[in-house]
Amino acid sequence: MTPVERAWRGGRNDWRLHVLSVFSVAVAFVCLASALLVVVNVDAVRERWAQTGRASVYLKAAATPEQVSVLEKALRASEGVTDVRQVSADQARRELGGLVNEETLLSALPVEAFPASLEVMLRDDLAVARLEKLAAQLAQLPAVESVETYQAWSERLAALLAGGVTAAGILALVVFAAVISVVSSTIRLSLQRRRVEVEVLKLVGATDSYVRRPFVLEGAAQGASGAFLAIALLGVLYAIVHSRFDQRLALLIGSGPSFLPWHVALAIVVLGALLGALAAHTSIRKLLVL
Amino acid sequence: MEPGAKVRAFRPALRAGANRFDPVAAHRPVLVFDDVHKAYRADAPVLKGLSLEIQRGEFVFITGPSGSGKSTLLRLLYAAEPVDSGRILFMGREVGRLSRASVPFLRRNIGIVFQDFKLVPNWSVLENVALPLEVLGVNSRLTRQRVGDALERVGLDGRGSEVVGALSGGEQQRVAIARAIVGEPALLLADEPTGNLDPQLAVDILGLFEDIHASGVTVLFATHDRSLLDVRPRRVLVLDEGRASDILKGLDEAAPDRHVA
Repeated sequence: MTPVERAWRGGRNDWRLHVLSVFSVAVAFVCLASALLVVVNVDAVRERWAQTGRASVYLKAAATPEQVSVLEKALRASEGVTDVRQVSADQARRELGGLVNEETLLSALPVEAFPASLEVMLRDDLAVARLEKLAAQLAQLPAVESVETYQAWSERLAALLAGGVTAAGILALVVFAAVISVVSSTIRLSLQRRRVEVEVLKLVGATDSYVRRPFVLEGAAQGASGAFLAIALLGVLYAIVHSRFDQRLALLIGSGPSFLPWHVALAIVVLGALLGALAAHTSIRKLLVL
Repeated sequence: MEPGAKVRAFRPALRAGANRFDPVAAHRPVLVFDDVHKAYRADAPVLKGLSLEIQRGEFVFITGPSGSGKSTLLRLLYAAEPVDSGRILFMGREVGRLSRASVPFLRRNIGIVFQDFKLVPNWSVLENVALPLEVLGVNSRLTRQRVGDALERVGLDGRGSEVVGALSGGEQQRVAIARAIVGEPALLLADEPTGNLDPQLAVDILGLFEDIHASGVTVLFATHDRSLLDVRPRRVLVLDEGRASDILKGLDEAAPDRHVA
C-alpha cells in the first residue's frame, strides 16, 4: 500500500477534522493572498508610471508661438523622443473635463491651473539619467515654466510598494505561524485518534519514516487545499470588485486592477503544501517514541 | 565488533519458515538474558539480575503475580524499554545496543500478541493482518495469499472482509495472532493474550499458540493464569520480586530442575 493510499485511508475516517483544518488554513491564506494582490497591483501601477514614456513641458503664459515652435522642433530632433504634441490651456481643461465629467468643479479652478504644454512621448527604454538631463536642459529655456517627468510619482509609488511588501512580509510570518499551528494541531489530533494504528505499525517493525509519511502527506494536502481554497475565495471577491471597478479611475492611474499572476497563485499553493508538510513532520516526530 | 559500536541493521541468521539454514546459528540459543537488571524506581527493581537461555523452537510460559515484570521482560525484548544493565541477545545480536534505526528490523522478526489485541477497530480483518507485510513491502497478491493462510491457521478463513470492531473478543484475539504470525517471525511473544477471554476461549487460544509452536516458532507466553500452565507441561519462568525461577519441565515436575536466576 502506497503512502498516498495510507493517507487516504486515514484521512477518510477523519474527514470532518480535515475540512475544518483546510478552512482555517484558507482563512489564514486569504489574508496573505489579499496583501499580495494589493502589492501586485501597486507594483503594476508603479511599473506603468516608471515606463510611462512621457514628459510634460509646461510653457510660460508669455511664451510666443515662435518660441514654442522652435522648442517643438528641437524636441523632435532629440534622442529618445518619438512624438511631441502641443496642448493648449483650453485643450488641457477639455481633456480633464472628459475624464472627471465635473464642469462646475473645473470652472472653479483658476486659468493658471491649465497651462499650455508640450506632451513629449519618449521611448520606453530611455534611461532615467538621460531623461533627467533632458528635463534639466528644457527647464533652462525661457519659454519653459517647468518639466514633469513623472519620476517623483514613480518614486512615491515605489515607497508605497516597499511599505506594502514589508506589510505583506509581516503578514506572511503571521500566516506561516497560523498555518503551522492549525496543521500541527490537526495532525496531533489525528494522530491521537489513530494512536493504535501508529502503535501497531511500530510494533510490527515500521520505521519512523514509514509511519510519518502518510501524516506528512495529509499535512501537505491540508496546506495545499487551504491555500487553493483561499485563492479561489479571493478570485470570487476579485471578480465582484472588478466588475464594479471604475474604468475612468483605471484611465487616470494608467492601469486597471489585475488578479494574482498564475505563478504567484501556484507559489502560494506550493507554500501551503510545504508548510503543511513541515508542520506535520515536526508535530509527529515527538509522538513516535515507542 | 568494537566495544561500544552501534549495530547498524538487524539481520537475523535464521528465520522460521525461511529456506536458508545456518548450521552455526541453529545451535545457538535464540534468546539469552545475561544478568539483566531493570527498575522503574530505584527502590523497586522489576528484574534483579535475570539470566536464562531459550533455545530455538522452545515454548516457555512466563508467569508471576501482577507487577512481577512479565510484560517488562517482553518489552525489553522488543526494545520498547532499555535494560538498566546486563545484556539481552536475540539471535546473537545484543538488543540493547541496537541503534534506533535498527529496532524496526528487530521487530520484523518478532510477532507480538497483547491482552488488549491492539487492533485497529475500524479496519477490516484483512487490513489488520496485512499490516506487517505492508511494512515489509510485500506485493498485494502475495499479501492476500499469506493473509489467507494466516487466517486459515487461526480459524478465520474467509472472514477477511469483516470489520474487526464487530468481532467477538476471542475472534479479535485470533486476528491479533494471525497478524503476529503472518510475517513468519522467529519469535512469538504473547503478553497475557488470554487475559480478556473466558476460560474455554483461553484454552482454545493456547491451543492455537501450540499449533504455531509446532511449526518451529519459539514462543514466550506470559500469563498469570495458573490453569493454563497445567494444560500441558512446558518450561515455566516464574517471576517474583525481581527474581526468576526457571522450571524446565512444568510446575508439576518442578523440583529436580528448579533453579533461581
